[in-house]
Amino acid sequence: MRIADVLFRQGHLSEDALTNAILSGEHPVHLEHCEDCSRRARELGLWLTDMRAEALAAADDAFPPEKLALQQSQIMRRLEQLDAPPRVIAFPAQAVGAPRTNSGRRVAPAWLGVAAAAGLVIGVIGGQVSARFTPEAPIAPAPAQTEQVEPEPNVSTPPVNASLLDYDLERHIPDPLRAYDEGTPTMVQTQYASR
Amino acid sequence: MAEQVPPLSPREADARVAIDIRAYQADGQLDAARERYGEVVTRYQRRAARIAYHYLRDAADADEAVQDAFIKAYMHIGTFREDLPFEVWFTRILINGCLDRIKARRRRERWIAPPVLDSSGSERDPADYIPSHGPSPEDVVLAEERRQQLMGAVAELPERQRMVFMLSHFDGRSSREVSSMTGLNESTVRVHLFRAIRRLRGLLVTRKIKGQNAGRNNRANR
Repeated sequence: MRIADVLFRQGHLSEDALTNAILSGEHPVHLEHCEDCSRRARELGLWLTDMRAEALAAADDAFPPEKLALQQSQIMRRLEQLDAPPRVIAFPAQAVGAPRTNSGRRVAPAWLGVAAAAGLVIGVIGGQVSARFTPEAPIAPAPAQTEQVEPEPNVSTPPVNASLLDYDLERHIPDPLRAYDEGTPTMVQTQYASR
Repeated sequence: MAEQVPPLSPREADARVAIDIRAYQADGQLDAARERYGEVVTRYQRRAARIAYHYLRDAADADEAVQDAFIKAYMHIGTFREDLPFEVWFTRILINGCLDRIKARRRRERWIAPPVLDSSGSERDPADYIPSHGPSPEDVVLAEERRQQLMGAVAELPERQRMVFMLSHFDGRSSREVSSMTGLNESTVRVHLFRAIRRLRGLLVTRKIKGQNAGRNNRANR
C-alpha cells in the first residue's frame, strides 16, 4: 500500500491503484478485507468493461464484415498496381526517330525573355519621345446635339401634370390621326370645363 | 516416424511471413509475395480498423488510413526487423498515418465547415434509414446516445492520453507493447493511462448528470 493511501485515504486504495489492479489483473490484499474498496473496484471494472464493449461495438458497426472484405480487395488491388511495371507511353516514332539537326535555329529561352524586355523598354521610351515631339492636334469640337433624344418612359418617375402630357402627345401625332385628335378635347379643356 | 513441428507463435509466424515476402520480392515472384501478404492483411485488418476508427472518429478516413498503412508496410517490409513483433511495427505505421491525417484535417477545417455527421462519425444518406427487425428505436437511440457520449469523451482527451488509452484498453495491449508502439516510456504510458481513465470518468459522470438534469427539466416543463 502506498504512503499517500495511508495518509490521505485512511488506508483505502486510490483510483489509480484500483485501475492498476484491474488492468494488470493483480489483486491487492487490501481488497480482501475492505468492502468499500472492493465495491469501488467492482464498479470501476464494470465501467471499464462496458466502455470497452461499447467502443468495440461502435467500431465494428462502422466496419462490418462486407466493408472489411471490400477494404481488403482494395488493398490487394493497390498492391497489384504498385507491383505492376510502370507503363511508359512511347513518344511518337517520327519525333524520336528524326535526328536532331544543329541548324542553328534553336533559340535559348533566356534570350527570348531578354529580347521581350528590351522590346518593351524601347517601345515605352519611343512612345514618350514621339509624344513629346509630335505637335498637338486641335481638339475637334463636340458635335452639337441637333436632335433631342426622346427620354424613355420611366416607371419610377413622378406623375407629370396634364398640360405637359398633352403637349408631348401633340408633338407626335401622326397625320392620319390628326383629324381624330382635333375632334377629341384635351385634358386641359376637360379640366376647365369641369370647373 | 515424422518429427512433429511445434506450432509457431503469432510473432514467429509474422516473422516467417515477412521473410517469405522479402524472398519472393527479391526473386521477382510478386504475385506470391502479395498472396502471402494477404494473410497478414486478413489477420490484422479488423484490429487496424478499430484503432483507426477510434483515433479518427470517421469511418471513411479510418478506411483510407488502414489501406495506406498496409500499403506502406508492404512497401517497406525490407526494413522490418524480426526482433520486433510485426503488429507493433505495423501499429506504429498506422498511428503515424492517423496523426498525419488528424493534422491535415485540422488544417482543412480552418477553411471548410465540417460535414454533418451521424453518431457513427460518417455521413449518411437518409435513404439508408430502412426499418429493420432489430432492436426497438428507443434502444437504438439510447445506445447511440451512450456511444456518442463515450466517443465524445474519448475525443476530448489529449492526444497522447487518447492514444495510450485506446491501445491499452480498447486494444488490450500491455504497457510495454504500447511503449514500443508509441515510442513513449513505459511509466509515461501508465501515467497517461491513469490520467485518461480519471478524466474519462469525470467527463462521463458530468455528462450523465447533465443529461439527467435536462430530462428532469423537460418533464417539469411539460
